[in-house]
Amino acid sequence: MPTSKSDVLQGTLDLLVLRTLDVRGSLHGYAITQHIQRGSADLLRVEEGSLYPALHRMEQAGWIRGRWGTTEKNRQARFYAITAAGRRQLAQEQESWERLTDGVSRVLRFA
Amino acid sequence: MSWFHRLANTVRSRALSRDLEREVAFHLAERADDLTARGMSVADASLEARRRFGNRSVQTERTRDRDVVLWLESLLADTRYAARSLIANPGFTAVALISLTLGLGANTAIFTLANAVVLRSLPVRDPQDLVLLDIRETKHASETGYPYFTNPIWEEIRDHTHVFSGSFAYANRMFNLSNGGIVRHASGALVSGAFFDVLGVQAVAGRLLGRSDDVRGCGGVAVVSGGFADRELGGTATAVGRTLSLDGHPVPIVGVADPRFFGIEVGRKADIFVPLCTVGLFDGPHALDQRSRWYLEVMGRAPGLTPEMVSARLSAVSPAIFQATLPSDWSKANQANYLSQLLGARSGGGGLSELRSQYAHPLWLLMAAVGVVLMIACVNIANLLLARGAVRQREIAIRLSLGAGRGRVIRQLLSESVLLALIGAALGAVFAHWADRVIVAWITTRRQPALLDMSIDWRVLGFMIVAALVTAALFGLLPAWRATRVDPQTMMKSGGRGVAGNRRQRISRPLVAAQLALSLALVTGAGLLLTTFRNLDAVNPGFRREGVYIVQTDFAHAASDTSRLPAMERDVLERLGAIPGVRSASLSAFTPMSGAFWNDFILAPGYVAHDEKDSLSYFNEVSGRFFSTMGTPLLSGRTFREGDGESPTTPAIVTRTMARRFFGIDNPLGRTFRTPVADSTSPPYEIVGVVGDSKYNTLDETTGPIVYVPLGAKGGIHGWTQWNYELRSDVPMSSILPAARDAFASVSPTIELDATTLSTQVESTLARPRLLATLSTFFGALALVLAVVGLYGTLAYDVARRRNEIGVRMALGAAWRDVIRLVLGDAGRIVAAGIIVGTLLSLVGSRFVSSLLYGVAPQDVRTLVGATLVLAITALIATMLPAWRAARTDPTEALREE
Repeated sequence: MPTSKSDVLQGTLDLLVLRTLDVRGSLHGYAITQHIQRGSADLLRVEEGSLYPALHRMEQAGWIRGRWGTTEKNRQARFYAITAAGRRQLAQEQESWERLTDGVSRVLRFA
Repeated sequence: MSWFHRLANTVRSRALSRDLEREVAFHLAERADDLTARGMSVADASLEARRRFGNRSVQTERTRDRDVVLWLESLLADTRYAARSLIANPGFTAVALISLTLGLGANTAIFTLANAVVLRSLPVRDPQDLVLLDIRETKHASETGYPYFTNPIWEEIRDHTHVFSGSFAYANRMFNLSNGGIVRHASGALVSGAFFDVLGVQAVAGRLLGRSDDVRGCGGVAVVSGGFADRELGGTATAVGRTLSLDGHPVPIVGVADPRFFGIEVGRKADIFVPLCTVGLFDGPHALDQRSRWYLEVMGRAPGLTPEMVSARLSAVSPAIFQATLPSDWSKANQANYLSQLLGARSGGGGLSELRSQYAHPLWLLMAAVGVVLMIACVNIANLLLARGAVRQREIAIRLSLGAGRGRVIRQLLSESVLLALIGAALGAVFAHWADRVIVAWITTRRQPALLDMSIDWRVLGFMIVAALVTAALFGLLPAWRATRVDPQTMMKSGGRGVAGNRRQRISRPLVAAQLALSLALVTGAGLLLTTFRNLDAVNPGFRREGVYIVQTDFAHAASDTSRLPAMERDVLERLGAIPGVRSASLSAFTPMSGAFWNDFILAPGYVAHDEKDSLSYFNEVSGRFFSTMGTPLLSGRTFREGDGESPTTPAIVTRTMARRFFGIDNPLGRTFRTPVADSTSPPYEIVGVVGDSKYNTLDETTGPIVYVPLGAKGGIHGWTQWNYELRSDVPMSSILPAARDAFASVSPTIELDATTLSTQVESTLARPRLLATLSTFFGALALVLAVVGLYGTLAYDVARRRNEIGVRMALGAAWRDVIRLVLGDAGRIVAAGIIVGTLLSLVGSRFVSSLLYGVAPQDVRTLVGATLVLAITALIATMLPAWRAARTDPTEALREE
C-alpha cells in the first residue's frame, strides 16, 4: 500500500459518509468505503474497522437510516440512506469544514 | 447521547451485535471477492480481507459498549475528580464524613432493628398467606383481640372450621434439660401436629413432626433446631436417635429442622419442638382438657383471603365453638361473656412477637429521631458546601466560560456529594453493625431474650442506598445549584470576593435556625425520656431490691409422694436460714417483677366496685419472714406464724391499698373477705396484718391491692411446686450459692434450681425505658452538637468575611465590647428563632412520646425550659470564639489587607 495514501482525518468520516450517501442514495458499508476511496482518487482510505461503529453512531443520532437488503450478488447487506436530519448535519459539517480548510490554507499562504 | 439511548443500547446490545456481525461478514466477503478478482487465491483473499479490517471481535465489542463505556468513563472521571478534591480538603472531608457516618450509621442501625423486629417476614413458605387468630369481644374489624386459646378451643377450630388450607397451635415453653440439680434451660415450643407442614419447613435430618405424632396419650418425640443440634448434640448427623431429658422426661429426637427456622416468635429462638399432646406428659393427663388454661397461639394458612374475610368466616362459626368449650365451673355472668366472644384473624406473616408489641412504637420513634439527626447533619454539610462553593466560584466560572454546560458542572459537584454520602454510608454500616449489637444486649433480659436476625437483607440494603442518595441530594443539590448560578464575567472580574458571601448568608442563617429548632425538639424528647427512666428507677417498689438473692426452684420431681413436698420445702427454708451470712430467708410462690402472677376478685362486705377490674387483687403465698427479707414494713397486726396454714379461716396480710380500697380504713384487723368460686364463694379470709404497698408486676403500674396468705393455707395456691426462696445477705452471692446448693441437695437431689438477684429482676423491667433514655440522650446530644457546630461555622465565616467592616468600625472608635455585642446579637437572633420554632416543634412532637412517659407530662415545662437552657448555653459557648476573634481584630491590619 502506498505510504502517501492517508487515512481519513479524524472527525471527517461523518462528513464523508453523509456526503457519499447524499450523492449516491442508498449504499451498504462496503460500497461506502469503495466510493470514498474512488471519489478521492485513491487519496483517502477509510479504516474499515471504524466505519461500522461510525455508521451505528450516526444511525442512533438519526442522521442515517439502515435497512437490510439483498445485493446484486444475492448477499444480505445493510443499506444506509441519509435522513433529513442527516442533510442538516451535512450542511453544518460541510460549512465548518470549509471554514477550517479556508483558515488553514490562509495560514499556509501567509506563513 | 441521551440517557434513553444509552439504556436502550445496553438492553438491545445482543440484537445490535448480531446485526453488526452480519454486516462485517458481508463486508469481508465483498472485499475477498474483489481481491480474488484481482488474481489472489481464495484463501489468501479471505485472510487479507480480515487483515485489512482489523481485529473483528475487538471492533464488535467496542461498538456495542461504546456508549456504556463512554458514560462509565465520564462517571469514573467525575469520581476521580471528586476524590481528588475531597483529599485536597481533608478538614472539610473529615467533618463531613464524621457527620455522615454518625447520621447514616444511626439510621441504618435503627432501621436494621426495626426491620428485624417489625418488618421481616417469617422464614417460611408464603408467609403472606398466614393469619394469626385471636378472640374478640365485638365484630369490630380494627380491634385486635386476645391472642391466647385453650386446647379445647383449638381442637374445635382444627376439627370444625373449613377456612384454612392448614392450621396449627403453638405455645412457647422453657424446657429444663438437666435431670435435677441446677437447671439448664432450653427454649422450646409445644406445637400441634401440622405445624411444620403448614409452615412448609423442611428437615435437614430425620423427619419433622406430623399429625400422627400429635394424638392424646402420646409418649412424646422431639424435633430440634439446626443450631441446637450443632451446639448441644455434636452436629446434625448424630442428633437423630438421641434422647433428651425434658423437664425430667426422656424424649427421643426424631429430626432436625432447617437451621434458618427459628420458630414463629420474632426475638426468640425455639430450639426444641414437641407435639402438643406431650402437655399431658409434662403437666398431667387432664392438661389437654382444661378449659381455662389459655396458652396456645393459633395460626392458619388462608391463601387468597384477607384477614377481614377470614374474620368474617370465623365469626360465623364462633358461637358453636365457644358453646362446645364452655368452662362449666365459671359464674353465670362470665359464661355469658364467654359465649358472646368471636374469633378473629389478623395478618400473621410477620409471626408473633412480644418484643414487637413492646418495641415497635419506640423503634419508629427512634427512627424519626435519627432521621432528624441526619437532616441536621445534612444541613451542616450543605452549609460547608455553600461556603466552599463561594470559594470555588472562580474555578466554576472558568469552567463555565470554557463552555462546560451548567448541568455538567452540577453533575461534577454532585458526584462529590454522592461519593461523600456513599463513603459515609459504608462507614455507617460498620458503625450500625456494632451499635445494633450493643442495643440488642441492652434489651435482652432473662425474662425476654432478644434473638434477632439482623443480617443485611434487600430491605436494609435498599434503605442504606436510598438514604445515602437522598442525603447526598439533600446536602448537595442546593449548593451545587447555587454555585453554578454565576455570571462568569462578573465573577472573574470581581475576583471571587464579596458577592457570593452575601448570598450565602441569606440562606445559611435560616438553615442554622432550623437546625437549632430540630435539635431543641430532640433534646426536649430526650429530657422527657430521661426523666421517665429516672422516675421509674426512683420508684419506691415497697421493698429493698438490693442484697436479696432469689433461688427459683421446681419441686415437681423432688418426691413421688406429693404430700411430702410442703415438709421438704420448709426443711430447705430452715437450712437456708442457717447459712452463715444469710440475715433472713423466706419462701414465696411469686417474686416481684418475675413476670408470673396470681390474682383474683375480692368480695368484701359493703364494697361495691364501679368497674369489675377495681375488685381485682394480686395474691401471693409467703412464709412469715417474707416481709422482713424483702424489707416491706409491717404497719399493724402481725406477720404469719407456725400453724397459720392449718387454720380453718385463712389468715391474710393485706397491703394498705387493699385495706383502704375494700374496707375504707387503714387498719381492718379481724375483718373478713372472700373470693368467688364459680357461682359460689370461697371460705373466708381473715385479716391479721397490714403491710406497706408493693409493686407486683412492673415499676410503672399503679400500686394495686395485694393479699398475702400463709404457706399451705386453705385459700392458697394448691399444688404449686415452683417456689422461690429469698435470701437477704450482705455477702456476695457466689459465697452463699454453694452452701445453698448443698441445702437443696441434702433434702432432695432432684429439686430444680436457678438463681438470680432481686435487683436484676427489677432492672430487667427497666430495659425499654433505659434503652429509650440512653439512645434519645445520645441522639439529642448528637443533634445539639451538630447544630451548634453549624452555628459556629456560620458565625466564624461571617466574622472572617466582615473583618474589613469590623476593622473600619474599630478604626472609627468602636470598642471591643461593641464588636462582641455585634456578633452576639447576630447569633442571638438565629438562636431565638431556633428556640421559638423548636418549642413549637417540641410541643407537637411530645404527643408521640406521651405513651412512653412515666411521672412526667408530655408538655412538661421544666423539661422544656431545661432543654432550652442547654441549647442556649451550648450556643453561647459556640458563639464566644468567633466573637472573641472579631473583638481582637487589628483595625490597621484588617484595613491594609483590602
